[in-house]
Amino acid sequence: MNKKISIMIVDDEMIVRESFLHWFKKLGHKVEAAASGFDALKKLENVSFDLLFVDIKMPGMNGIELLGKVKEGYPDTIVIIITAYGSIDTAVEAMKMGAADYLLKPFKPEQLSLVMEKVAHQKKLLDEVQYMKGRLERISRFENIIGQSDPMQRIFDLIPEVAQSDTSILIVGETGTGKELIAKAIHAKSPRAQRPFVAINSGAMPDSLLESELFGYQKGAFTGATHPQKGFLEVVAGGTLFLDEIGEVSPKMQVDLLRVLEEKKITRLGDRSPIAVDFRLLCATRKDLEKEIAEGRFREDFYYRINVIKIQVPALRERKGDVPLLARHFIEKYSHETTKKVNHVSREAMQLLQTYNWPGNVRELENAIERAVVLSKSRTLKKEDFHFLHPSPVRPEKPRSLREMEKEYIEFVLDDCRWNVTRAAKILDVNRVSLHKMIKRYGLKRP
Amino acid sequence: MNATLKPIGVVPLGEVPEIVLKSIAAGILGYLKLNTELLEPQRIPENAYDLVRQQYDAGLLLNAFESLALEKHEKVIGVLAVDLFVPILTYVFGEARQGGRLSLVSLHRLRKNSDGSPAPLPLFLERATKVALHELGHLFNLIHCEDSHCLMHFSGGLRDLDKAPPYYCSYCSLYLRDAIPSNAKNPWI
Repeated sequence: MNKKISIMIVDDEMIVRESFLHWFKKLGHKVEAAASGFDALKKLENVSFDLLFVDIKMPGMNGIELLGKVKEGYPDTIVIIITAYGSIDTAVEAMKMGAADYLLKPFKPEQLSLVMEKVAHQKKLLDEVQYMKGRLERISRFENIIGQSDPMQRIFDLIPEVAQSDTSILIVGETGTGKELIAKAIHAKSPRAQRPFVAINSGAMPDSLLESELFGYQKGAFTGATHPQKGFLEVVAGGTLFLDEIGEVSPKMQVDLLRVLEEKKITRLGDRSPIAVDFRLLCATRKDLEKEIAEGRFREDFYYRINVIKIQVPALRERKGDVPLLARHFIEKYSHETTKKVNHVSREAMQLLQTYNWPGNVRELENAIERAVVLSKSRTLKKEDFHFLHPSPVRPEKPRSLREMEKEYIEFVLDDCRWNVTRAAKILDVNRVSLHKMIKRYGLKRP
Repeated sequence: MNATLKPIGVVPLGEVPEIVLKSIAAGILGYLKLNTELLEPQRIPENAYDLVRQQYDAGLLLNAFESLALEKHEKVIGVLAVDLFVPILTYVFGEARQGGRLSLVSLHRLRKNSDGSPAPLPLFLERATKVALHELGHLFNLIHCEDSHCLMHFSGGLRDLDKAPPYYCSYCSLYLRDAIPSNAKNPWI
C-alpha cells in the first residue's frame, strides 16, 4: 500500500479490536477502535477516517445500521463488514448498501492483505474523484463567483463577451446576490484590468459628499477643503468605476454623471478648467429602475445611458441548485479561517439550507455558514447548527405555469432522494424512463 | 559486532529442534551483527491452547512470556513448533508487538510447502530465520515495508515468504540503525 490510511475498527469484542489494532499498527496505518456503533459515529463527527472495519453483530446498533448511517453522512468512507457468522443475505445486503467488502473472521492473512490492496485501489479512485470534483468546482467558479445553475452559467458566458468593450453595464439583482463580484469579474476580464477598479456605494453617501468624492475639489472649494483633492473619476484613470446602488443617486447627480459620460470630462469643485477622464462605468441596483422612472424618481435619459447592457443576477432562491456548492465553498473558507476542522454538512442540515428562502441571498448564506462553523463543536454541521434560520413559507411572486411547478417539484423529489432515480420515480409514480426524459426535458442537473 | 547492546535471546517454547535455534541465532548475528544467546527451554502454558480453533493464541503467549525475567537480553525471540493464531486471522507465522520485548516464531506451517509436500531442510531453516528477523524488526519498531524486496514486506503466505529476501531494504536498514543507536557508529549495512 503506497499511502498510509486512517482506519477505525468497530467491534464489541475487545480481543478483536486489539488484534486489529496490533495488526494495522504494524502496517503503519493510523488506527483507532470503537466498541459500538454509537461510539463510532461519535468519533466520526470529530475525526475523518478512510476505512472502517465494522462487525455486524453488536449490541445497540448493529453493523448494517451503522453502515447505513456512515454511507449517508460520510459517503467517501470505505466500509468493510466483518462477521463471525456468514450469511449470503447479509453479505448481499451489506454490499447493496455500499460496503466495499464482506469478510468472515477469522480470515487468512493473505485475504486481509488482498482486501487492503483493494481498499488502496478504491481510495485512489476516490481521491481521483475528489480531484475531478475540485476541477469541476473550478469550472463552476468564475473569478470568485460560484454557481453551476443555468442562469449563472449564462452570466459566466456573458462576462468575457461584454468585458471587451467599453459599453456601460447595469447589473440588477437583490441585495447579497454578488453584483460587485460580477463587476469585478468584468473589470478583470477587460482590457482595463491593469488599471484601478474603484467601487463606490452611492446609496451610502449624501449628495454633496458623493459629488466631492467623484469630481474632487480645489483648495478652498468649501469649508474644510484645505488642500486640492482628486476625485474618483480622476483616480480611476483608465480603469473601471463601479457605482453600486445607483437607484439611490439624486436626479441632480444623475445629470452631472450623464454629462461626464457624454463629454468624458470633469471639473473639480471650486475649479473651472475641465480635466479629461477615461473610465468605464458599471452600475448596480436592487431597485426596479423602470418603476422609479415611471414614478419620476429616476431620469430616463440617464437610465438608457447606463443600461446599454443589463445583467440580471438571480436571487439565491431562484438557483437553489447552487446552495450545496456555495455551502461547501463557505465551509472550506471558514474552516480554514477559523482553523476548525468542519468539513461535512448533515443531510438534514443541507435540506434546510436548500429549502430556506434566503432573503439576504448569498451574503446571508455565507454569514449563516460562518456562524455555524464558528459555533460548531463537531466536524459535521447539523440542522441544529442553523437553528437561527426560520424558514418562511415560500410564496411565489407571481402565478407560475404548471410546467414550472412540475419542474420544481421533480427537482425537489430528486433532491430529497439524493438523486436516486428509482426511488424518485416511485414517489412521483412514474417509471424510470419517463423520469429520465423529464430530467432531460427540464435540464435538471444533479447538484 | 555490536558490543554495547545486550544480547538477543533465542528461547525454545516447548520442544524445538536445536538446529532451528542455531540457524536463527546465526541469522541475527550474520545480518544484524547482534550478539545472541540460546536460552533454556520454557513450557508452553496450557491456557494458551484454544480448544475450538485447535491452535495456540499468540496474544496470550506474548502476555505470558513478557513477564519472564528478560532483563539480561535486549529482545527475546520465542520459537515454537505449534500453530499460532491471532483472533482476526486463521494463522500467523510469527507475532510481535511494535516496540515490544518478545516475539514468537511458529515453525508449524514452515515445514511444508503450499502443495503439502515436505520442505527441504535448508528452505525450512531459511523460512524460520526470515520470520525471526521480520519479527525482530517489529520489536525494533519497524513497520511493514512497501518494498516487496524487503524482509519487512508483509508475507500473506508461504509463497510470499519464500519470495522475500533474508535482508532488510536500505530504508528499513537505516531505520534500524536509528533504532539501535550504537550501530550508527559501527554501520553494518
